[in-house]
Amino acid sequence: MEGLKYVGKRIPKKDAPLKATGQAVYIQDLKLPGMLYGKILYSKYPHAKILRLDVSKAAALPGVRAVLTGADVPNNFKFGFLKDNPPLKSGKVLSTRDEIAAVAAITQEIADEAVDLIEVEYEELPGIFDPIEAMKEGAALLHEETKSNVLKLPWKFVNGDVEAAKKESAFIAEDSYTTQWVTHCCLGTSGCVASFDVSNNLTIYSNTQIPSLAQNDFLEALKVFGLKNKRVRVIQNTIGGGFGSKLDTYAYEYIAILLALRTRKPVKVVFSREEEFLATSPRQPTITRISQGCDGNGKLTFREIEMVLDNGAYTSWGATTPSVMMVPISSLYKVPNIKYTAKCVYTNNTYSQAFRGYGNPQATFAIESCLDELAIKAGIDPVEIRRINANEPGEVTPQNFRITSCGLKDCIEEVVNRLDWKNKHGKRNGRGVGMASLIHVGGAARVYKSDGCGTIIKVDDNGKVDVITGSSEIGQGSETIIAQIVAEVLGVGMDDINVINNDTDVCPWDVGVHASRTTFVAGNSALGAAEKIKAQIMEIAAKNLGEPVEALDMQDGVIFSKNDREKNIPLAKVLRKAHYTLGGRMLVAENFYDPPNENFDQTFRGNLSVAYAYGTHGVEVEVDRETGQVKILNYIAAHDVGKAINPMLLEGQIYGGGLQGVGYALGERMIWDRGYLKNGNFLDYKMPTVRDIPPVQAVIVESDEQAGPFGAKGIGEPGLVPTAPAIANAVYDAVGVRIKDLPITPEKVLRALKEKEGQKV
Amino acid sequence: MGSFEYYKPESVAEAMALMEGSGGKGVYISGGTDVMVLIRQRKLSPGCLISLRNVRDLDYVDTSSGLAVGSAVTHNAIAKNDLIQKRYTALSDAASKVGSLQIRNVATMGGNICNAAPSADTACPLLVLDASVVIAGKSGERAVPIDEFFLGPNKVALGPGEIVKGFAMPAFSEKTGSAYIKHTRRQAMDLPMLGVAARVTIRIDGNEIGCRDALCTIDNISNVLKRFEDEKLVCEDARIALGVVAPRPMRAKKAETALKGKVISEGLFEEIGEIAASECQPRDSIRGEAWYRRDMVRVLTKRAILRAVDRVIRPDDTIWPERLW
Ligand SMILES: Cc1cc2nc3c(=O)[nH]c(=O)nc-3n(C[C@H](O)[C@H](O)[C@H](O)COP(=O)(O)OP(=O)(O)OC[C@H]3O[C@@H](n4cnc5c(N)ncnc54)[C@H](O)[C@@H]3O)c2cc1C
Repeated sequence: MEGLKYVGKRIPKKDAPLKATGQAVYIQDLKLPGMLYGKILYSKYPHAKILRLDVSKAAALPGVRAVLTGADVPNNFKFGFLKDNPPLKSGKVLSTRDEIAAVAAITQEIADEAVDLIEVEYEELPGIFDPIEAMKEGAALLHEETKSNVLKLPWKFVNGDVEAAKKESAFIAEDSYTTQWVTHCCLGTSGCVASFDVSNNLTIYSNTQIPSLAQNDFLEALKVFGLKNKRVRVIQNTIGGGFGSKLDTYAYEYIAILLALRTRKPVKVVFSREEEFLATSPRQPTITRISQGCDGNGKLTFREIEMVLDNGAYTSWGATTPSVMMVPISSLYKVPNIKYTAKCVYTNNTYSQAFRGYGNPQATFAIESCLDELAIKAGIDPVEIRRINANEPGEVTPQNFRITSCGLKDCIEEVVNRLDWKNKHGKRNGRGVGMASLIHVGGAARVYKSDGCGTIIKVDDNGKVDVITGSSEIGQGSETIIAQIVAEVLGVGMDDINVINNDTDVCPWDVGVHASRTTFVAGNSALGAAEKIKAQIMEIAAKNLGEPVEALDMQDGVIFSKNDREKNIPLAKVLRKAHYTLGGRMLVAENFYDPPNENFDQTFRGNLSVAYAYGTHGVEVEVDRETGQVKILNYIAAHDVGKAINPMLLEGQIYGGGLQGVGYALGERMIWDRGYLKNGNFLDYKMPTVRDIPPVQAVIVESDEQAGPFGAKGIGEPGLVPTAPAIANAVYDAVGVRIKDLPITPEKVLRALKEKEGQKV
Repeated sequence: MGSFEYYKPESVAEAMALMEGSGGKGVYISGGTDVMVLIRQRKLSPGCLISLRNVRDLDYVDTSSGLAVGSAVTHNAIAKNDLIQKRYTALSDAASKVGSLQIRNVATMGGNICNAAPSADTACPLLVLDASVVIAGKSGERAVPIDEFFLGPNKVALGPGEIVKGFAMPAFSEKTGSAYIKHTRRQAMDLPMLGVAARVTIRIDGNEIGCRDALCTIDNISNVLKRFEDEKLVCEDARIALGVVAPRPMRAKKAETALKGKVISEGLFEEIGEIAASECQPRDSIRGEAWYRRDMVRVLTKRAILRAVDRVIRPDDTIWPERLW
């Protein structure tokens, strides 16, 4: 891969100037002629009957154009993964984020005032806020039509014989680990504008990270609303971050659609920051029971995990995260015997969604913390137990993942060397080092029937290239990566490439921005399209230059003969020749790339991803024994990325993921107290600030994945997966206490220290 | 957010007249970093806003005798002031830690104190620096000791329409040092889980404080203190103030009394920390658990006193203060 001109280079993001100068148009900036402003009223109680709902005062307020309640949702429409979530609730509310009414008005201020005028009388019902309580026999059912608060989902994976392995193990470590709710904290809050034309075709400006699937969701909704055979166009404005939060459609979008339908006007619903905390879906909290064993030499013998997830009151993708938790559970390190079950349980709390890592961070926290405990029991250095059991190329894991490229061992060594592990580990002097590794899908993930992405490339008469891709730019830099790949294949400059990626009327189909798949899938798709268009160009150029196609190459928009550089023709000229000839042609190529990966079978086996991403994080901390505060002194994040298409963007993913992980590990948590969110603001939700950033070294390990575009694998999610256990392990190394409940707050550390010394708290 | 009139008077008298004209429904606004938040949260709906930003009489730092700081002086101006850094260090400690740079550029000490949050960062420093609050009212000016100014949560001793002109503090010699420790979960944009300020005045029986050069060391203060074991450093005067652990910022008076006149040692400070911890009344809240706050009062009181002592015995400007704190 020598002589690459664009791929592998630190090229700034294409949209950076727009964002830096404030010219990027976010949903907040969008204004359509005649547009109305919507506002949602949420439930006052986590569990209650609505006895009376009087909207007359709101409706009478001058400037109000419509007020909707649950009664205005046609045909009992519900959305979400299990279709258990009505956009406006009626009869009963199941959480404090339940939408019960909505207003459209000519200004936002009037809409805000109007929702305050809606009168609601409730009869409060006892709520269930603990999934363990909710699982108990006789517990009140949240959804009366179900038989149990435990969702009917098949999360179970078994390989080998765990019971037999337990008997044969020389050492076993067993414990419980718990994790909290954390939310995405996107810089841009959620919002949409819904607008119908005269024929009731819908255009929706949305922040979604799944335009094709959202289009389908909205089409389904229109059908239920009685609008059959309509068109839905999804347009994305500049999106201020996603991290999984926009992987599902939300009630507010259906509410905007219903308000637009009612008023015949475009309706905008944009969240305030407080609403963003309350009414978007966080990472699901987990209670994990884990046991792992090894033989006398430290070789892992089994891993057994039972998990309970708080599903909240309704069901979105959060309930499917156990399918991704299985990836590390079955395949992080070589473990022959596996048993995993997970239960998702309805409670009167907020419902969860996708969040970077999709369950992997929760599972890895338990696995990697417990692995250190096992190493201690076995008397092996934590590095050694990881070396002994590390995954390798060519391996087929218990879930039938076919491991191709695998740089895990290199990642471990990078961490060991850069942290000076030998000299720093095991001192117990208030400073300590810890590490944890990760596996994640790195070559897409076939969770739907298709895992594909389409690309159309057209070149115009002036030699400019339009790349029309199904994948979305949500701040991660996909636009730039795709342009780099096309520039490299074609031999044109970055500035000559325009990426179009935000309109379902124009863009081809794509599953969405998830599973760290965009560089891999959209990149491969664009690569194929670029090769096709290049072949067309070369064919015409060959005729014009009188040289065989094989002798030609293109650089900086000029096609030339490799034998004689004097024989050349600019791309623009080739295009004009093609276009302006009698019976001429235009140059367009399309390519659909659907990776050769597999859906899981009934036993959850199948090669989910074409390639797997690995990484190891190592951290050195200092623990203040008197205050319990943990300070990160050094942070190494080594990632096997196949190939860095753009090292600068890639480091951005590692820094960003790492920092999100540091927040997860040390401070962030949504405090849901008996159904009420107590810290829905940035003052009390302790997301790290720029002043809290530890020194992070991003180490890029390139294992050259054959199936990836130019050897690349996904890196969108891995950055935050092993952060929390790496820090927990370092805290243990520093002061000898293990925190098994995230986040690792100073209170928990201090309490554990005092308990260890036999003091009362 | 409703709409309201906004006035920009240029003198204290004009401001008070506007307030009177509003029938008491007006609200003074200085930096606005508390007022605007309350308005947006709809916890405050003023008849009008009377800005104090253009009132020159409130924007002064006078060091001619002791320290006098106008109420409209921003946290950033306080944090950067040389004299405050040297002689009123607890105050610059606190001002430099408020919110973020953007907040410190507009937010004022007057606003911080008049807002009367138990978490106000400059409250504890003012308590240990014996500040008095200079208040302008209809019948002229009066001065109230800061300890009597705080009445309770969000309550201060201000009559209707009265304006805080500024804060006056006595002069302190180089034998006095002070420090404020803000205990937070984040390095910026955070209110204190608790705050501790301490001021000490130190005397060495018979001697000047040792050879300064020898003290230009990055050694930990505990070790430095050991060098003075034979010399007997005595704590002549002391103040300790605690924030967030009571309904209002409070002095830990028992702890102060126990410290005064004693020969300094780290062991003594441990005891003082324990006394301070027994004096406070922390509560459980989402921002912190009571037991933890109380325990941190113990730990941080000790540390704040150590820091204040250190600032007397190692006042070296060149390696100060990043060296240690
Ligand atoms: C993002 C953010 C972070 C913050 N972080 C901190 C922090 O870390 N620590 C902290 O202590 N605070 C913090 N605050 C709160 C606030 O910034 C401070 O309390 C600040 O000092 C208030 O000053 P101001 O000039 O903005 O007050 P304003 O909002 O203008 O006024 C506050 C109150 O004082 C009254 N007032 C103001 N001046 C006078 C006067 N001269 N006479 C009589 N009454 C007067 C006003 O009527 C009002 O009631 C933060 C606020 C924000 C928004």
